[in-house]
This record gives sequence, C-alpha cells and structure tokens, in this order.
Amino acid sequence: MEQRACCGGRSAGSIGHEGLKKLVMVGNPNVGKSALFNRLTGSYVVVSNYPGTTVEVSRGTCRIGNTEFLVEDTPGMYSLLPITEEERVGRDILRAGDATVVLHVVDAKNLKRMLPLTLQLIEAGQPVLLVLNMIDEAERLGIRIDTMRLEERLGIPVAAVSALSGKGIDGLEQKIASYRPPREGKRLEIAYHEAIEAAVRVLTPHMPAGSGLSPRALALLLLQGDSAIAAEEGVREEEIAPLLATCRAEVEASLKAAPSYAIPLALHRRAVAICAAAFTAPPKKGNALADRLSDWTMRPLTGIPILLLVLYYGLYKFVGGFGAGTVVDFLEADVFGRYINPGINALLSAYVPWQPVRELLGMEYGVVTLGIRYAVAIILPIVGTFFIAFSIIEDTGYLPRLALLVDRLFKKIGLNGRAVIPMTLGFGCDTMATMVTRTLETRRERLIATVLLALAIPCSAQLGVILGMVAENPGAMMLWGASVLAIFLLVGFLSARLLPGERPNFYMEVPPLRLPRPGSVLVKTYTRMQWYFVEILPLFILASVLIWLGKITATFDIVVSWLSHVMAWIGLPKEAAVAFLFGFFRRDYGAAGLYDLQQDGALTGNQLAVAVITLTLFIPCVAQFLMMKKERGLKTACAIGMFIFPFAFAVGGMVNALLNLTGVQL
Amino acid sequence: MICPFCQKTFAAREAEKACRNCALFGGCQKVKCPYCGYESPREPDFLATLRKLGNKLRRHTDAST
Repeated sequence: MEQRACCGGRSAGSIGHEGLKKLVMVGNPNVGKSALFNRLTGSYVVVSNYPGTTVEVSRGTCRIGNTEFLVEDTPGMYSLLPITEEERVGRDILRAGDATVVLHVVDAKNLKRMLPLTLQLIEAGQPVLLVLNMIDEAERLGIRIDTMRLEERLGIPVAAVSALSGKGIDGLEQKIASYRPPREGKRLEIAYHEAIEAAVRVLTPHMPAGSGLSPRALALLLLQGDSAIAAEEGVREEEIAPLLATCRAEVEASLKAAPSYAIPLALHRRAVAICAAAFTAPPKKGNALADRLSDWTMRPLTGIPILLLVLYYGLYKFVGGFGAGTVVDFLEADVFGRYINPGINALLSAYVPWQPVRELLGMEYGVVTLGIRYAVAIILPIVGTFFIAFSIIEDTGYLPRLALLVDRLFKKIGLNGRAVIPMTLGFGCDTMATMVTRTLETRRERLIATVLLALAIPCSAQLGVILGMVAENPGAMMLWGASVLAIFLLVGFLSARLLPGERPNFYMEVPPLRLPRPGSVLVKTYTRMQWYFVEILPLFILASVLIWLGKITATFDIVVSWLSHVMAWIGLPKEAAVAFLFGFFRRDYGAAGLYDLQQDGALTGNQLAVAVITLTLFIPCVAQFLMMKKERGLKTACAIGMFIFPFAFAVGGMVNALLNLTGVQL
Repeated sequence: MICPFCQKTFAAREAEKACRNCALFGGCQKVKCPYCGYESPREPDFLATLRKLGNKLRRHTDAST
C-alpha cells in the first residue's frame, strides 16, 4: 500500500519511526532502486515531497534480524556534485549524516560507469554498502564480478542481488545487519594529482567537521565549483572565497585543466582500475562489431573517414540528392509549377480586378506563389529529409563519439568536444544553437562558438537547399565545402589567439552505440518538422507581404539596385540580389531564392559556387541576430554582424577573382 | 526522460527550468538536458496519450489471458 503525504507534510520522523536505524538508498536513475526498496520494505510505503521541493522521497520500514530499520529511497543521482533538484535532495539526505548504512545501488552490468559515485561516497565518509543489482541479468550476459576482490579494493562490503527475483537479498540483509563502518585510516583514499591534494590540504581545515560529508569531500566539491555547498554547510564566504580562488588558480596553472575536469577524470580512472581487477566482461561475440565500430568512430584515423561517409550518405545523397532533388523537383515543378501556381494566377486574373491584390496573393512574389511555395515545396522536403537523417544519427549514439573525435581539433580553435552540441544543433537551427552556447564553460568559448555559428554553420534548410543546388556540380560542392571548412577553422583559430581566457578540457561518458529505433526516429522527425513548419510558414508569408509592400512602394527595386553593385563585384547576376535581400530576413528564404535562380539556369558553375559560399557565410537571419543580442549583448551582436557582412562578400569576391584568374570553370 | 546525447535521465520539470530563461518560453517544443545542454524534441501530447492507451490495452489483454 502506498500512502502519500504532501510537501513538507509527514516526514520520516512524524510517521512514528524516531530512533530507528536508517538505511538510505542512493544510485543512478534506472538501476532498480525502487524494486530493491519494495523488496526490503514490503508494500507499506510513504511517499512525500522532500521539504521545500517537489521531489518525491519514499520511506518505509524493514526488519532485519531483530532490528527495525527506516528505509529511505532517494531520487536518482549521478554525482555528489548536483545539477538537478533530485540530485540536490539526494545529497541533502546524505549531508544529514544520520544513515546507519548507505546502500549504493548500481546496475551490475554497468559497474564501471557507476563506481565513481561509490568512490565519492566512500571519500565523503558515508557508511557505504555497494549493492550490485540485476546480477542475474549480468550473469546471463556472461559478466563475472569478483565481489570479494571488489570488497578488498573498495574497503566496503559488496552484495550481489537481483531485486526483481529476490536473489541475494538474504546475503544483503546479513551484510546490513553486520555492517561496521571502516575504521579511520582503513578507508579507501583516492590520490589525486599533487596540486589537487595541496589545495585540499589548504581548504580542509576550513570545512565543518560535523557534516554528513567529510571535510575532504567538501573541499573537493568546493574546488569543482559547487557554489551552493559552502552556504549549505555554513562556511563563511569571506573567509573561504580568497583561499578558494588561489587554490583553483594554482590547480589550473599546474594541471592546465580545471578541477571540475581533473577530479571526475581521476575518479573515472580509479573506477576503471578497480573494474579491471574485479569485473570480467564476456568474450566478445554479437557486440564485437558494435564495440569495434564504436572505437573506430572516436579514433581520428578511422573516425574521419566514417564522418565523411556519414556526411556523404546522410547529407549529400539523402538530403541533397533525394530531399532537395527528387522530392523538391516533384513538389515544385509538378505540383506548384503545373497546378497550384497557374491555377491561382488564373483564378486571380479571372476574379480579382485589382492588380496589387493579384500581386499580393499570386504572380511573381505572391503569398501563395512565393511564400507558401518556398515553405511547402522547397523547405519542407529538405528539412524533412534532414531531420530524418539527423534523428537516425542521434538515435545511434554517434553524436557523443563525434564530440570526442573533434575534441582535439576544436581545442585548436578555442573550443572543446562539448561545443559539438551547439554546432550540431546549429545545423538544425542556428538561433536555437546560439542559445545553447550558454552551456559552454567559459565566456571565451561562448563567444567563439557564437561567431562560428553566425558565420560558417548553415541551418538545416539552408544546408539542404545548398546541397540540392550543388548536388549536380561536384566541383562547386567541393569548393563550397572546402571554403566553408577552411573559414570555420581559420576564424576559430584566429579568435582563439585573439581572445584571452581559459582553455577548458572535456570529459564525458560515451553511451553504447546502437541501431536506431524506427519509432523514435519517426517521433523525433515529426516533432522537429512540426516545430519548424509552424515557425517558418508565418514568417515566409510575412516576407512575401513585405516584398509586395516593397514592390508597390518601389523601395524593393531601389534596395535591389544597390545590392546589384555588390553582386556585380562578386560576379553574380543582379537577380541574385533578391535572394540576398531575402536572406536578411531568413537564411533559408534567401537560399530558396538562389535555388529558384539556379533552376532557371541563371547561374554558371562558378557563379553557383560563389553564391553558395557567400550565402553560407552571409549575415545571420533576424531571429539569430536577436538571440545573439540576448545571449552576448547588443555590442557583441553588432560587432559580429559588422564583421560577417563585409567578410562574406569579401570571401565571395576573392573566390570569384581566384576562379577567373586561374580560368577554372566549375 | 533520457537525453539522446549523454543518455542521462532527468525529470521533465528540470528541462522546463531552462525554458524560464528563454525568450521562447518552451514554444520551440524542445527539451533541454540539464546535464549536457543538448536539446531534443518534446514528444507531442497525442503520442504520449496513444502510448498510454497502448499500454492500457496491453495490460488489459495480459489480464484477460
């Protein structure tokens, strides 16, 4: 039976369990904590919100031998350094320091990934008992865990159980009943780099001794930038802040890495070493290929060819060839070209006597004949195929591997593998990706990533249209790809040299590589397309209305005639000015305009290459500019815009001059 | 929810916290992972309803057999 109490309602104490010994269960989400909790406590459970939060904590009782225990199931946590409210609650429960035994429940199959938290708990002085749950599943997979050796290495008791079947529960109960915390000096100690140890020695005396977490653990958390822990533990900020700043600076100077990178990495290495002694994986059979492939994707020698294959088949053939070629041809030429546009224009000519209204709805730049045609016949199939390809890539778990693959290269441009997140999201929508740059660690990284997103990362629709345009001209495609990549690296490299600041490292756990699930790919594609279409359709219609207004007031022609001088300078026909004018409004709208020009045969191979390079580098759309202003401030956003605008045309002009000079015809 | 990038599990309300600081207030229909910042599309409500219905039907079928 489950009984629920409201927030701050009936705490453990108030349900009449004062004085009971306490078992606290901690662990990652989805490791079977709740199943073990139910197995230990039976059916009577009190679920209440942790005071002051909306996080639910389950409490129950169990009898082991002659002793009754209060059992508390904490929300899932990955580390003692909390990011979510659940993790904060989990840590608060541990900080109370009243647990008789802390059961760290792990998935036996993924021991290596979960051991760092065990090490943190031991380091924090918690009375830990490691519970290897799902041991039956692990054994079925051929995994062997030497629990004796694990106990020896960790210095804590270890119990292998299956909460679902009940296997090993008796042994666990015996270990709980006979639990004795390790004596001081016998506790496992993780030796960090000397610089970290020195900082810990300086900070530890200033940490409170009576906390649930040891002074050493508190010092390590502070070093990693846990700003909340000092306040929570009542450490006087004015006393600790200067010390902490000096310690962190010394660690960073000595390690060339932030403590928030070096400490988890040391824990991970220790976990790997312990697993090497106590964990035997099954002989590779079915998963051998997946494991090898996973390894190949992260090594530069094999990872780069794999990346090129993914780009070639995923983007060039599928999005550029199929989406922007076959599907767009059908929708644009057959559906809109033969039926919808002529039909609308005939209806307007027959029934609407006013020319301006005819031009608003149909004719050359009308809402239906241009705005809706661009949105439905050009952009929709392109973003649709792009999102299918992207969802498949995402679902396989390839993206974290890509982050590790490009980490070294990105370090040269002042970023690290973490920047793969905004960069890949930028291929979907640069505006959203600009906002995601806030997840990068330093201001310098955020600024470099914002510049590169605005300059050299085309959004999904723009990329698809460009790929569709260059699909039949491999020379133009090669030149476009090489130019944009070279500018991305060059501008990144120069920005990294010009902007002073830290160079943070990057560390992440790589999830398993797997086959994409069709249901998941469909849901993701549908949701992304729905969002994109709902966003662009009104904007495309608005753009058509603005162009119509510009036409009837003649301002459109004036702006086009100004821009046509720039077009002439970079070797493009004056009609291309319209596409660039659209591009101010939305990048994909501009790309669709260029697509129209190319379909009409108005661009030579060289002009095509110059046009797509310039448009890719071209100033970001209005929405992205506003996001840059919001994230980086007006001055920075204007500076980026003022750099990109002439730079894009300068590069276009240079490519044009170079092609003319060398006599190359693409 | 499980982040498709880092595979960490988080509660929907954690993702919603990011929306409070955003100009779109969740209008983008995306979910932001609190651990790595990766944004993935939010499952449409009707699909969640369909899934619940499917689970209910499955339980009903299991119970009757």
